[in-house]
Amino acid sequence: MNGFTHLHVASAFSGHYGVTRPETMAEAVAATGSSALAITDRDGLYGSVKHIGACLKLGISPIVGVDLAILDESGAVLARSAILAQGHNGGKGWSKLCEIVSTAHASRGRSGQIRKEAQIGIKRSELSRLLAVDGGCTILLGPDSDVGRAVLTGPKQLATSLLGAWREMFQYPATLGVEIVSHLTEPGTAYSTEQANRMLHLADSLSIPTVLTNAVRYLEPDDALTADVLDAARHLEALGLFTPQPNAQAWLKPAISMQALAIEICGEASRALQLLDSTERLADRCRLDPVADCAWGKPKTPEKSALGIEGNPFEVLWQKAHAGIDYYYRGANAALISQVHHRLGQELITINKLGFATYFLTVADVAQMIRDMKIRSQARGSGAGSLTNYLLGISGVDPIEHDLLFERFLSTERSTLPDIDIDVESARRHDIYRAIFKRYGSSRVTLLSMQSTYRGRGAMRDSGLALGLEDDEIDDIAKNMWRFSARSFRGALGTKPELAALASAVEEDRRMNLLVDITERLDRLPRHISMHPCGVILGDSTLLQRTSVEPSGLGLPMSQFDKDDMDPMGLLKLDVLGVRMQSAMAYAVREIARVRGQNLDLDNIARDDPETFKTIRTTNTLGIFQIESPGQRELTGKHQPTQFNDLTIQISLFRPGPMKCNMIAPYLDGRHGFAKADFIHEDLVSILKETWGVVIFHEHVLRILNVMTGCTLAKADEMRRSLENPRVAPQVKQFFHEKTQERGYSKAVIDRVWGILEGFGSFGFCKAHGAAFALPTYQSAWLKTHYPTEFLAGLFTHDPGMYPKRLLMAEARRLGVKVLPLDVNKSTNEYLVEKEGIRLALTEVQGVSEAEISRIIAEQPFKDIADFYLRVKPTRRTLERLALLGAFDSFGGKRRSDEAGDDPEITRGDILARVRQLNAIKTRPASEANQPTLDFQVLERLPTGNAEPTLSEKVSTELSLMKMDVSEHVIELYRPMLEEMGVVNANELVGLRNKSEVLIAGVRVATQTPPMRSGKRVVFISLDDGTGCSDSTFFDEAQARCSHILFNNRLLLISGKTRRTGVRGVSLMAENAWDLREMWEQWVKARPQFLERAAG
Amino acid sequence: MQRIDENVLVSTNQNGEPVGFLWRDSNYKVRARPIRWYARRDWWLEAMRVQRGVGASVLEVEVWRMLASKRDEPEVANKNQFEIVHSKDGAAGEKHIWRLLRVYD
Repeated sequence: MNGFTHLHVASAFSGHYGVTRPETMAEAVAATGSSALAITDRDGLYGSVKHIGACLKLGISPIVGVDLAILDESGAVLARSAILAQGHNGGKGWSKLCEIVSTAHASRGRSGQIRKEAQIGIKRSELSRLLAVDGGCTILLGPDSDVGRAVLTGPKQLATSLLGAWREMFQYPATLGVEIVSHLTEPGTAYSTEQANRMLHLADSLSIPTVLTNAVRYLEPDDALTADVLDAARHLEALGLFTPQPNAQAWLKPAISMQALAIEICGEASRALQLLDSTERLADRCRLDPVADCAWGKPKTPEKSALGIEGNPFEVLWQKAHAGIDYYYRGANAALISQVHHRLGQELITINKLGFATYFLTVADVAQMIRDMKIRSQARGSGAGSLTNYLLGISGVDPIEHDLLFERFLSTERSTLPDIDIDVESARRHDIYRAIFKRYGSSRVTLLSMQSTYRGRGAMRDSGLALGLEDDEIDDIAKNMWRFSARSFRGALGTKPELAALASAVEEDRRMNLLVDITERLDRLPRHISMHPCGVILGDSTLLQRTSVEPSGLGLPMSQFDKDDMDPMGLLKLDVLGVRMQSAMAYAVREIARVRGQNLDLDNIARDDPETFKTIRTTNTLGIFQIESPGQRELTGKHQPTQFNDLTIQISLFRPGPMKCNMIAPYLDGRHGFAKADFIHEDLVSILKETWGVVIFHEHVLRILNVMTGCTLAKADEMRRSLENPRVAPQVKQFFHEKTQERGYSKAVIDRVWGILEGFGSFGFCKAHGAAFALPTYQSAWLKTHYPTEFLAGLFTHDPGMYPKRLLMAEARRLGVKVLPLDVNKSTNEYLVEKEGIRLALTEVQGVSEAEISRIIAEQPFKDIADFYLRVKPTRRTLERLALLGAFDSFGGKRRSDEAGDDPEITRGDILARVRQLNAIKTRPASEANQPTLDFQVLERLPTGNAEPTLSEKVSTELSLMKMDVSEHVIELYRPMLEEMGVVNANELVGLRNKSEVLIAGVRVATQTPPMRSGKRVVFISLDDGTGCSDSTFFDEAQARCSHILFNNRLLLISGKTRRTGVRGVSLMAENAWDLREMWEQWVKARPQFLERAAG
Repeated sequence: MQRIDENVLVSTNQNGEPVGFLWRDSNYKVRARPIRWYARRDWWLEAMRVQRGVGASVLEVEVWRMLASKRDEPEVANKNQFEIVHSKDGAAGEKHIWRLLRVYD
């Protein structure tokens, strides 16, 4: 007897059901000599492309199906069945499988709202209809079906008639089989040998074919423990609160075990042989030919008609690109124009050779559509290296001006579809998706999905849930999990000081011990599927026969394949990435037009504005794209950029690779003249002069290989890619050495250059990508320099940065831009620019609903509080919060002469008292015509004698209701203590001598633990104290003293020594840190006069 | 049904099926082919460690159900149904532990 083919196998892509990745299972099966393996993920084809890819690589036949609920007419579950696609039928089985899966999901959300609780499944009648005419798929009816349950509990006739009903509905040959499974459970229960035996006899009596499977959930018995934990995550309940799997038998058993199982079930050898034989026959029928059945690897782009073009696509592309020259190079000199023509010709030849003309036309068409919608957009990534992309309006960076290479993006040496990513305004991204669906039709477009995987905290949280830990316990542990892989959780316990408490708990508490073990087990497993943040799949009209789809939160169908599945399936993915900064800038431009009547074209501003670079050099880069992080701020201080290319370089330098390889110091030394640049050989001077001899960009590597070996740039890019692969890198080395020797370079030069190229590996950065990033960096810096008020309004409204908004509030104070308080007559859902400053938006108030905000905007203006109360119909909480935050203060002011009261001024206290009177009314007036008169006629008469809240009370309210301190910086509450202690302000640090011992205080606004060259962990903490940001560095020793404080507290006091890092750069080498509020409590204990200022 | 939960000594045939056992100083002979299945354990209540590779024995146990009677009594005499749990211990799983859980009349 030969091998055994498993036909019912859930992979880890089965929503908390399967445990093992498809590739791992295919490898295990191939190693035993089996020639085929099925994947049947729950509810979808989520792992199927990875499965097919792995099978192709291993030389075994892929079989694909789905594990799906089949429903009766009322929607109740009749069976959970494996449904397999039959193969070698020109894609009939595959496309039918896609249709079955998509149908099973469609009922959950046609109108945009996904009904999460709704059963995913297909009605038996619908399934019957799909398979009646020409078959294509085989349903396996197993233990988990009405028939399977009936053989255990019902009278014999019931099981017979139930199975008879199935046979009746699936008469087309090979569409129905009975699945025989035994997990060797207790006799008389589901998945027992007894049940399997009865199913076998029942099937025989009705002449329905039988197949043996093991309903596999995991590779090895040991994985059953992980399956228990996944079950808990799926049920959202702790272990012990739901019925768990019966035992650990659902593993990928080898052929010999399956053969023994067959004999045990059948009770006799000859029937067992028949069972094994019919299993293999079905397996053979379901072997897929990936190319013929799934259109594996065949590029699919929209048809010409869908793009609205006629004739040869290449000719159309040629004309469109050439037409762009007149626009983008208007007024260029003859030499440049001829360079443009020459380069464009070369690019187009490559594109034509690869047959990608339609692809470029598609992307250009989408880019044009986005521009027509008046939405800011910009290509990112290597696509910016293409002149064609520039001339088609896809990219905004001139590749000739910035010396970018097309070959890094596309060459005849590779044949996969290139990635062109487009950044757009985040707030308009969904509009673009809908427009793409509308333009190309829903049969050609789907969204892309994404499988997120378990990482440290997530793995620990679901493990904690499975063990029934309290939420607080879980939160406490999660807070201290920083930068280590959950796979090495146990190892981290011994080395990370902030985990010391957990480490000792593990020694005493058995559950904590288990928590660590199962967290390690969950790490890296797929966690759930969601909409990819930016991917759209564009195909031809057969797209929905190639991929299964399910509804997304957007209401648009989403493919069940992820981004790694695109290339193998020949699907074109367009990344339309929402970038908040683009929204913030678009908003600023809109406000400039609204308030000043000036129309700016941000993409056409001069890119050499000295004022803009002056702003950047101060290192006050908060809010500027890409360079606002503490590390980038420090680098900005050292680097002092003066031109656009400097920004490209700086963005590219601040990456793990260059930092690890110590590329920053030599570059800065060369730039500032501390060291003479070393170009190794005069041939490299022209290539590396922009970076003072340091190899930073992929483009550098390409040009070095090109100059020194004489190979083409396309070949050079191929070699650059090979450098990352240890198997082929030696061939590149040999080629490089041979060619350079031939061309007369000295051994010393060859060795040195090779050493750099080799070390460069995958670390470098594509210059085109850096330049594409530098554009919004420059644009945002320009806006901050010339239109700070409007720019800040954009930042407040779209919140693009890494910092909390309250830090922007501090930046506004620093820049002298006034942030105006909430006002129900002036605030909207955006931060509007007014004459005196920026008006706070209503969206900041926690607990106010979108509907309430819409009503406020629609009903503005209001003449008094009662008017607001009657027309907006706010909840009591909303009304009170708005009053507390001063949104009704504009109804105050001087008391009218006819009003009662001794105080001439109406206080916020008076307003609040009035609001509370209103909130005390039990029912609202039914309609305006039928109002109870008494109470509302005296509305204008506000209560009197209530005190105005103090400044610190206002700040406390703001922090608790808006998470922002608007009236003054929260640190001011602690000012008396800080002054007594001699705490230094952030903006004073730059004036101190190196290695001064100081104390600083503030709100923690950023915590980073970047990878370091030494492999040791370093913690960077940024504090904001209202005068600016200070950055502190904690090394091992300091971490040991206070890491429990660092990660757990918002308000910190830090001691340390100043460390000068550049002209404008100072950071703190931290020695210790304390919880500021705890210190304050101790401090005021001794000074009761400050008690009333203690605040949150 | 009686709950017992005592260790017993079991002799098996070459297929690993129990053929007889010693319990409370009496020798029992298995009188019909025993039935085996696998039951589970609630490891989260009892296990100390469940690290990767710990093995399925933390989760599942082999259970044998058999008709048996005292060896020195005639075969037709009153047979009882016994449930014995089999687990393995020791570094290489070389030690067999048999535990009589229940006896049915």
